[in-house]
Amino acid sequence: MAQLSHRQRKGAGSASARRLNPDGTYVHPLGANRSGVIAPWFFVTIPILWILIFSLLPFLNTIRLSFTDSTLLRPGKFIGFQNFVDMFHDPHFITAMTNSSLYVVCVVPFMIILPLILAALVADRTRIMGFFRTSFYIPVIMSSVVVGLIWTNLLDSKGLVNGMFRALHWITKPIPFLTDRWLLLFSAMTITIWTGLGYYMIIYLTTIANIDPVLYEAAQIDGAGAVRQFIHVTLPGCTWTMILISLLSSMSAFRVFGEIYMLTNGSGGVGGADITMTMLIKNEGTGINARTGYAGALGLVMFFVLGALILFEWFLESRSSDDE
Amino acid sequence: MNKTIKTALSLLCSAAAVVSFGGCGGSASSGSGTTELKFQTWNLKNDKFTGYFQDLIKQFEKENKGVHIKWVDQPADNYEDKLSTDAAANSLPDVIDMGPEAAYTLAGAGALLNIAKEEPKAKDQYLDAAWQSATFKGPHLEEGTYGLPWYLNTGPTLYNKALLNECGLDSNNVPKTQDEMFANAEIFGPKCGGKYAMTTGLPSIQDFGMYGVPLMNKDHTKFTFNDPKGVAFVQHYVDMYKAKAFTDEMLNTSNSGESKSFNSGSQVFLNGSLYSIDDMKKNAPKVYEHMGITSMVANTHPNMMMEMITVNANSKNKDMALKLAKFVTNSKNQLAFDKKANVFPSSKGTIDDPFFNPSGDDMNAVGMRMVAKQVREGRIWGPPQFTAVDGTRLQEQIAQALQGKVTPKQALDNVVEYANGRLK
Repeated sequence: MAQLSHRQRKGAGSASARRLNPDGTYVHPLGANRSGVIAPWFFVTIPILWILIFSLLPFLNTIRLSFTDSTLLRPGKFIGFQNFVDMFHDPHFITAMTNSSLYVVCVVPFMIILPLILAALVADRTRIMGFFRTSFYIPVIMSSVVVGLIWTNLLDSKGLVNGMFRALHWITKPIPFLTDRWLLLFSAMTITIWTGLGYYMIIYLTTIANIDPVLYEAAQIDGAGAVRQFIHVTLPGCTWTMILISLLSSMSAFRVFGEIYMLTNGSGGVGGADITMTMLIKNEGTGINARTGYAGALGLVMFFVLGALILFEWFLESRSSDDE
Repeated sequence: MNKTIKTALSLLCSAAAVVSFGGCGGSASSGSGTTELKFQTWNLKNDKFTGYFQDLIKQFEKENKGVHIKWVDQPADNYEDKLSTDAAANSLPDVIDMGPEAAYTLAGAGALLNIAKEEPKAKDQYLDAAWQSATFKGPHLEEGTYGLPWYLNTGPTLYNKALLNECGLDSNNVPKTQDEMFANAEIFGPKCGGKYAMTTGLPSIQDFGMYGVPLMNKDHTKFTFNDPKGVAFVQHYVDMYKAKAFTDEMLNTSNSGESKSFNSGSQVFLNGSLYSIDDMKKNAPKVYEHMGITSMVANTHPNMMMEMITVNANSKNKDMALKLAKFVTNSKNQLAFDKKANVFPSSKGTIDDPFFNPSGDDMNAVGMRMVAKQVREGRIWGPPQFTAVDGTRLQEQIAQALQGKVTPKQALDNVVEYANGRLK
């Protein structure tokens, strides 16, 4: 009791910062007692260490490597910006950057619009719509190897698509889906859209479920049909999700790898014309003769491009919120 | 109490660390005087080969009392990545199975033993072509032999007689050289171009070697296959492509559909192997009925692939490791392995064994005799300095030359510049 009084006195002396719990222990200035301060650190230490060891340190090491001529087995020496100079003289880099950027430009609009339309179509909670929702989601859970095999067999010069066109007498010689630079790139984009539709559709479905049904009822009373309801209720209700999806899909589009790798058997197309940034980094940065310095520089450039993309979308996002 | 638990835990962790570190790296000598050697193979622990290696190890341990061999086998995929990671961590096994390209890189990093220096007489036991291919020189290493030749492999050329006849070519007089093949393509093109493919896809660095193109300079510091002969070689492919002697899909560098195309009866020639004969018999019986076999089409020497047994330069038991490498690659053990694996020996004289020279006129016997002759005359054309990435660039550039995007000279100049850059 005496001790309590002492604590109370001491506490009163610095009342601005310290308060007492009923048991006489001090309340921490941050609003928690001592164990309450330590406990959160216990939970975050492992994730912080994880990020430090597996993300931050490798990232810093990549920056260091990008200024050296190191290979996997030779530490190399500092060469300044030589890797970056070489990169801009490397025709593969120009091709890869063009292909990856084109991928973003062509795929992202489809990834924003198509899943939204699909989600609006299958939003009803009826059994039949459940069937369609599941059907559209199936490509998402399919292994990339299986997806690659399906599409390679479809698009090969002796594949199903060419066979069908020939049977219908629409073509006399096969369409070079897998050997023409642009056709191959567009075929890969089609696969990306096909596999991504279901995933983004689910995100839109959750957003649509949160739109107040009263808005639809009001629109209906005002005489709006399904299309007008979509334009004036669903679309504005999904603006933020559209921005999020544009961010997510543009990042994954720029990092495209599996689709082109599968369609070209890992070659990057005839003459390497369909190689992408991630494929180039893989080619240069793996294997026993890996040029880790050059691959690091490529990785760094890719990081800055993705960073710029994110900043651009944040800028758009903040502008649209200012307008509101 | 807490202190006791902490002490116990610390001791336990220390013990675990010591035990784990003991597991890393190559050989170790135990207190009881046993020498342990780590022997690594590549994708050979399976029903077909496990028995062979167990007997081999037992025999070596019997002949060398106090030696214990720990056999480890790595899966087929990413083997070179595993080797480079081990080399970077200084934890390579004592005796390692690998190909010349990986051996060249690891030798450059000082990870492999120069056997020519340690055991100069070993040279006499192996075929000259094989020993030469295990002998490296280049910008980053001391000239030396960084592994013992193990097995060799090469194969015949298979052809479809029915297609040859249909396309105006003589099935009784098939091309023996690459020049004859190009001449045949001129006849094939107008008759069957676009309908069938004449041959497999784009040429590799080995094809340049077989054509007689000088691949590297004398001291192996630069590639030289962009010389006029190399350019003329690529020009032949440009002409073949124009004559539609092979399909667009074959321009995809990693396309492994050549055997599929031959099996389906739409390709005339195939660079095959002895496996292909049985494969064809089983999976493409209709094509097999019309199939012929001839030696590898080459202007100079036919090409062979080689596998080596190397020794870790940092092994604690170098002498014993070298002894094991010699034991694995001696004539007797090579012969036993070759019979199991259907590959060919690199040790001198072993190719004269009756196994490689069977009598009879069936396709397997003819093929075996043909390939045994190729082993006697063959070369391992692929320079170990020419990496897989260089190979991809070569095929990409040739594909562009075929499509008329670059000239053959520009294509080869680009590859040579790139490969020389990597060689520095």
